[in-house]
Parts: sequence; structure tokens; C-alpha cells
Amino acid sequence: MQKFKPTAIVLALSTVLLGCQDKGPQKEKVTIEKNPYPSTYQPLSKGSTLITNATVLTGTGERLEETDVLLKDGKISQVGQDLSAQADVTIDAQGKWVTPGIIDVHSHLGAYPNPSVESHADGNEITKPNTAQVWVEHSVWPQDPGFNRAREGGITTLQILPGSANLFGGRSVTLKNVPSPTMQGMKFPGAPYGLKMACGENPKRVYGGKGVAPYTRMGNMAGYRAAWAEASEYKQAWEQYEAAYAAGLNPDAPKRDIRLDTLRGVLDGEILIHNHCYKAEEMAMMIDLSKEFGYHSGTFHHGIEAYKVADLLAENGNCAALWPDWWGFKMEAYDMVPENVAIVDAVKNSCAVVHSDSDTTIQRLNHEAAKIMNTANQAGFSLKEQDAIKWITYNAAKSLGIEEITGSVKQGKQADIVIWDRNPFSVYSKAETVYIDGAKVYDRHDEKYQAVSDFMLGQR
Amino acid sequence: MKKFNVSLLTGALLASTSVFAQTTAITNATVHTMTEAGVLEGATVVIENGTITAVNPGNVSADKTIDAQGRVLTPGFIGSMNQLGLVEVSAVAGSRDGGDDKAGIDFDASPAFNPRSSLIPYGRKGGITQNVVIPHGGKSIFEGLAFVVDLSGEFNSVLKTSTALVIDMDASGSGSRAMKYKTLTEKLEAQQEKLAKGKKDDKKDAKKPSREELVLTAVLKGEIPVVAEVERASDILEVLKVKEQFGLKLVLWGVNDAVLVKDEIAKAKVPVVISAVSNLPSSFSSLHAALTNAGKLERAGVKVLLSGFAFEGAHNLYQLRFDAGIAVAHGMSYEGALKAVTSNIAETFGLDGGKIASGQRADLVLWSADPFEFSTTLDKLWINGEEVSTESRHDKLRERYTTDSDMPRAYTK
Repeated sequence: MQKFKPTAIVLALSTVLLGCQDKGPQKEKVTIEKNPYPSTYQPLSKGSTLITNATVLTGTGERLEETDVLLKDGKISQVGQDLSAQADVTIDAQGKWVTPGIIDVHSHLGAYPNPSVESHADGNEITKPNTAQVWVEHSVWPQDPGFNRAREGGITTLQILPGSANLFGGRSVTLKNVPSPTMQGMKFPGAPYGLKMACGENPKRVYGGKGVAPYTRMGNMAGYRAAWAEASEYKQAWEQYEAAYAAGLNPDAPKRDIRLDTLRGVLDGEILIHNHCYKAEEMAMMIDLSKEFGYHSGTFHHGIEAYKVADLLAENGNCAALWPDWWGFKMEAYDMVPENVAIVDAVKNSCAVVHSDSDTTIQRLNHEAAKIMNTANQAGFSLKEQDAIKWITYNAAKSLGIEEITGSVKQGKQADIVIWDRNPFSVYSKAETVYIDGAKVYDRHDEKYQAVSDFMLGQR
Repeated sequence: MKKFNVSLLTGALLASTSVFAQTTAITNATVHTMTEAGVLEGATVVIENGTITAVNPGNVSADKTIDAQGRVLTPGFIGSMNQLGLVEVSAVAGSRDGGDDKAGIDFDASPAFNPRSSLIPYGRKGGITQNVVIPHGGKSIFEGLAFVVDLSGEFNSVLKTSTALVIDMDASGSGSRAMKYKTLTEKLEAQQEKLAKGKKDDKKDAKKPSREELVLTAVLKGEIPVVAEVERASDILEVLKVKEQFGLKLVLWGVNDAVLVKDEIAKAKVPVVISAVSNLPSSFSSLHAALTNAGKLERAGVKVLLSGFAFEGAHNLYQLRFDAGIAVAHGMSYEGALKAVTSNIAETFGLDGGKIASGQRADLVLWSADPFEFSTTLDKLWINGEEVSTESRHDKLRERYTTDSDMPRAYTK
């Protein structure tokens, strides 16, 4: 651990930094603005809505029959049977199902948008194996028609990640899936940043081919370790500066490094790791790596072999964000089992998440979860809808560090809600109405609530 | 090849009479015949020697009877437009045989087909019994020749070769798509001229035609279809003109913007192969991709075939049944979607299968309920009359990691 007691720091300062001390009044303290591109998101409206007689999957393991849900002031105000509340709009949801808004923890919408033309390839800064200085929010094109398609599939929150070419691909951003001309207008207020890391084949293929490290998997590990060692020193330098300043001295601030700011954010526990990592042995090493440098290894994405180390992931508090069935496109994706999510989920204290990594399957994460649930049940599991919905709601929110705010149908939480025309685990199911912070953002039966991207407007 | 010559067949019969002579009757099934007979409730289907020998016969005498208890019996589903058996791991060069820089009109990848690929039993999980394999060619617009396999996993599973000529008429990565029409029409015109000249010339002097010429001749005679990969509406109309000019038997593939010219496609009686889940404007050629397209094309009278979307490809062929369900959810008729994964594919590519009728190849699937639904299980699968397991190495891996053992898991087999 890189933590120092104040007394030790002061001692160190008196010897190391003494030369830098100005006896006069303190210069203005140098601080790093942690939120320079702040969210400007505003809910689309504030009306109240009462949804009655629905089958409600709470996202936390419960299924409630004939239940009413009141959305008021952007929050889930009440959940229960025969609510007496009055609302601006009442929806009879008899025969319909209500779930939390669907959350995708792995999307490249906006950064690899449609149309996928040359000038839209903004997801992978393939220039150095460590590009922790790039922030994918600076690539997001809010007019990507994929955002609208995803909303039609019930997606209310999504994390946009940089690609996996690099050991450190850059910062992720969590967005509310609302139409906006700016990224800031979609940015999820209060959601922590993530840092994309990548194991395995991609970084070594991309850089090894250029004669640059990493060329091998051991080269990958060396690259991470060198970066964390450097980040630890950077963190220490800033802490020494801050401590000296607090002690009334007048130290010079360390040189600002945008790349190391992000890595330091991870070491400080403010930025969450989202690690593209397929293989069992690599996930185990990434966990040890995080312990070596004192951070948490976060969520493993893609984790084709997560089922081989399900116990380890649960013990260490890692989420595993997985596909139901993608496989075989590269060697590290060869050992897929379609019950992967269910096997990970079955361990106590696990955090199994179903992700898309696709502009197509993001539109049907409910179907992706349904495939897993049914395949697993055929293999002897006994999963129900109320279990499987967690993988695309509450657990996903947990992976993103926003589970206190959204991801379940619970009083006081943000009113991010989907009404489905039937059991969302049926192949015939469709999202009918989608709410974000209590505002209707999509209605399958009312064109007024069907957003169209600028790009698509007027095309014939 | 599943065809036996008489002497071989007799030999086989002598060696194992029981296998070949056994008749199986599936009784009390809800049978989707994919013929004019429609859906038959409580029906019986008899299979013998790889063939359906009777549907609802007057009396049933079979060596083996399977009571379907009302469950759903469909023809085996048919995959298409992928590299099944030509790729094991997409990023492993040595396991890829679907294309070659030098591939062209006469590129037949069928000798490279690997029936022991791990993708094949995985495909069976989705009730897929046959597949139209297509090459992805090389640098030319001619991608090569499609071929048909069954998913038995046996070494004789290539059923048909030179099934179609595949051409890429979509936007060029560089240069102009117009050049593709020049290349295509020049080839066809040259062969047309040769054929016309050959008729006049003394046959004795005629040079033996090259493989490429044989393919072009078959194409010009309408003996094998041309599958044109094309997206934009104006491109579809151009390809239809080429069809008209040369009398081609045409199949359109991709066609995200087909809805704009659906009546023209219907009028030309050209089948289309589409993905039911393609709904993003991935290029300026496919701005009208939509989940509702399958249903709209069907209602316009176009013969629709469904194939997997890009990432589904050969590895996740099994998802075809879910894609069909999504097509239904967005407006395609149920029987239309079922045809789109069975009989429409068989008819378009001239396969034996895709229907349940006397004389048809016995590729059958018994489902617990609606085959498009996630909760439905595949209960039994027959390929060429043989009951085949759907177990794959994926099941072995799952079993290994979910079975308790005192030993390291490597000892669990």
C-alpha cells in the first residue's frame, strides 16, 4: 500500500522538499478538477405516472403480481398493491410486465456508431499500449442512431467503453439513454468513471505486430505493472504535495499528467476497473495484480472462462459481465459455455452481469438473459425470471457503482422503468414504454415518443 | 455424399440390415409440414431408410414408435450464408478455409469442409440439420461456389456442391461499385458469345471448357442461382436488370434497403436472404434496415429466407430459431417465418429437405413447444433418418466445471 502516516510525510518533507519551500505566503494550492466535463442532464419532464396491475420484476430477486408502481418527481415513489395514489397519468398494465430500466455495462455506441464509416472509428486510440489519458466521452457522437434503437429495447443506462486494443484503453463514461445534442446532456450525474483495461490477445496482437511491447502475455503483465508502479509514485508525489501544503509549507506541485491522473483515480478508489479479460488464468493474475498495487480489479468483461474461476471472482468481489453465447472468433473465446452466467451467478456473493458489446444485442438484453436462463435450466439449474433480470439491472448497476441510484424497482430510486407487452423472457416480447427519471422517453404506440437521430432525419 | 450407388447400398444392407430397414413412426405430433397440407394435429410421420415414407398413413406398423404427446414436429432448420465447417476459430489462420486471395468464379471450398468441427454439434442445438455454406472469396467480386452440408458430423456430410455462385455487388471499399457491374456483365457476355459460337462450330474442334466457363454456362442456363450480396435499393434494381438481361436465376442477399423496392423484387420473383435482427444504418447502403422488413417483404409477396446476422455466423447458427421468433414479433407471419428457415431455403437452393411429406429426406426436429421460443427445448433430432445427439464440447466443459470432484477438474471427462 502506498499510504503514509502524516508524521512520516512531514519528516520526509523536511528533508526532501525543504529546498522548494518559499518562506513567504503560500501560493494558491494546485488542485485537479475531477469533473471538468460535467453532466448537464435534465429529466425530460416531471409528471407523475401510476402503473397498475403489472407483474413486477424488482431486479433484486422478487416477482410481484398485480402490483402498482407510482413514478413521481423522477423517483419510484410507491410500489404495492391497490395504491390509492393519484397521478397525472394512469396506465393499466394488466398482463404486462414491469422491470427496472435495462443497463448495459459494455457498449461502444457513439464511439463506434452507425454508420460505421471511416471517420466514425473513434473507439480505440491505437497509438500506445497505455492510453489511460483518453476519455471515451470525448468520442461520443450523441446522434448515433443506435442510442434510439437501444432505448426501444428498454436500455435506460449504458456504459460506453473505449476499445480493447490497449492495455489501458482510457476512461469510460456512463450515460443516461436520453436524446441530447451533447454528450454532457446524456452523462449520468454522479456515476463514477471507469478505466478500461484489456488482457490477452488484443493488445499483444496490435502492438506485437508493430514490434512494440507487448508482444506476449507476459509483456502485457509487464506493461500493467510498470504503469501501476509509475502511478503509485505519482499518487505519492501528489499526496506529499497536499500534505506539505496542509502543513503550511509552500511546496511546488508535481507536474500534471493526464494519463496518470486516471490511474491515480483507480488507486484512490474513485475510478472503477472494467477489464476486458477472457481467460481464467488471466483473471486470476489480474486479481493478484490489483492486490500488488492496492486497487480493486473491478468487473471482468467478456470473461468467456469466468465459469472456471467463479468462486475466485465471488470471493474477490468481482463482477463478471458476460455474453450468453458468443464464441470462437478468437482462441481466447474458444471455451465458451452457454451456462457461463448461470454458473458465475450460482456462487454466494457473486455479481453476474449480461452485457452486449453490440449495437444489435443491446436492443434485446432481455432475450440474451432469457437464452441463458433457459439453457441453464435445461442443464439442471432452476432459475426464474426474477433471478435472471438481475443480470441486466441490479448487478449491472453494481458493476457501474450506481446501484444505490438505479437498477431496481424500489421506493426512492430513480424512476428508470420499462413496461413490457408480456413476459420479457419471451422471444415475442417488446418494450412498450420506457421511463428515465420518471419521464416517458419511448412509447411503441405513440410516435411522439419515438426519437429519430439527426442523421436519419429526411433520409429516403 | 449421402447418395449410395446400388452395389454399395446392397453391401451396407447386408452388413447391417437392422439400421437400414428399421422404420420409425413418430405419432401424435403437431406437424408443421411446410406443404399445402399445413399443420397437422395428432399426426403420424413414418421414416425409413433416411426418408419420410408416410405422413398420416392408414395404419402404422413400425419397428420403433415415438409418441410425441402433441409436441411440435418440424423439418430440420436450414442455415445459410456462413462458413460452417470452413472455420473453427475465426482469428486462427490455420483454421480458416472460407476464402483465398485467388478465389474466383470456380472457387469450390467444399474439399476443405471439416465435418468434425466443434461448431457443427453446437449448430444442431438449434435444430439445424442442413446448411448452405458460402465462401467469402478473395479480391474479385466473384466469391465462389456455395455448397450444402448436413450437420450429421459424419465424413460424408457434403450433400451438394456448386449450389450457387456468390457475388459481391455491395459498395466497394475503394473505387466505384459501377466497376463491379462492368466486371460481371463482361464475364457473362463473353461466355454468352462463346456458347453462341460453340453452337456454330464443329463440336470436334471445340476446346474443353474451363471450370470457370462451366460455372458461367450453368449460371446462364439458370441451372445454378446467382446469390448477389447487395444492400442499397438502387443497387438491387441494377442487379435485377442484370438478371433480366442474362436470364439469371437470382437470389438477393443482405438487402437491408429491399423494402424500398419490394414490389419490383416480388414481380421479378427473386427470393431474398435477410437477417431478422439487422436494423441499424451500418452504411449509406442500408439506411432502411428495420426489424419490420421481413414482414413487409413477406406481405409484398417476396419469398423471404432468414439467415443469421454477422456475429451469429457459423458459430452461433443455433440462434436461427430465435431470429425467426423476432421476425414474427415484428410482423412476419408465423408460418412465413417457419418457411423462411426451412422450405424457402430448400426450394431456393434446390435441397432435399425443408418439408415433411412422403418422399422427403428425413431431417426432423421434435420440439417441446413453439420452436421459436426460448423456453422450448429440442427433444429429438433426426438427420437423414438417424437420431443424432446435440451434445457438444460445450456440454463437456460445463459438466467438468459443475461436477464436484476430489481431483483437479482435468481428471473429469
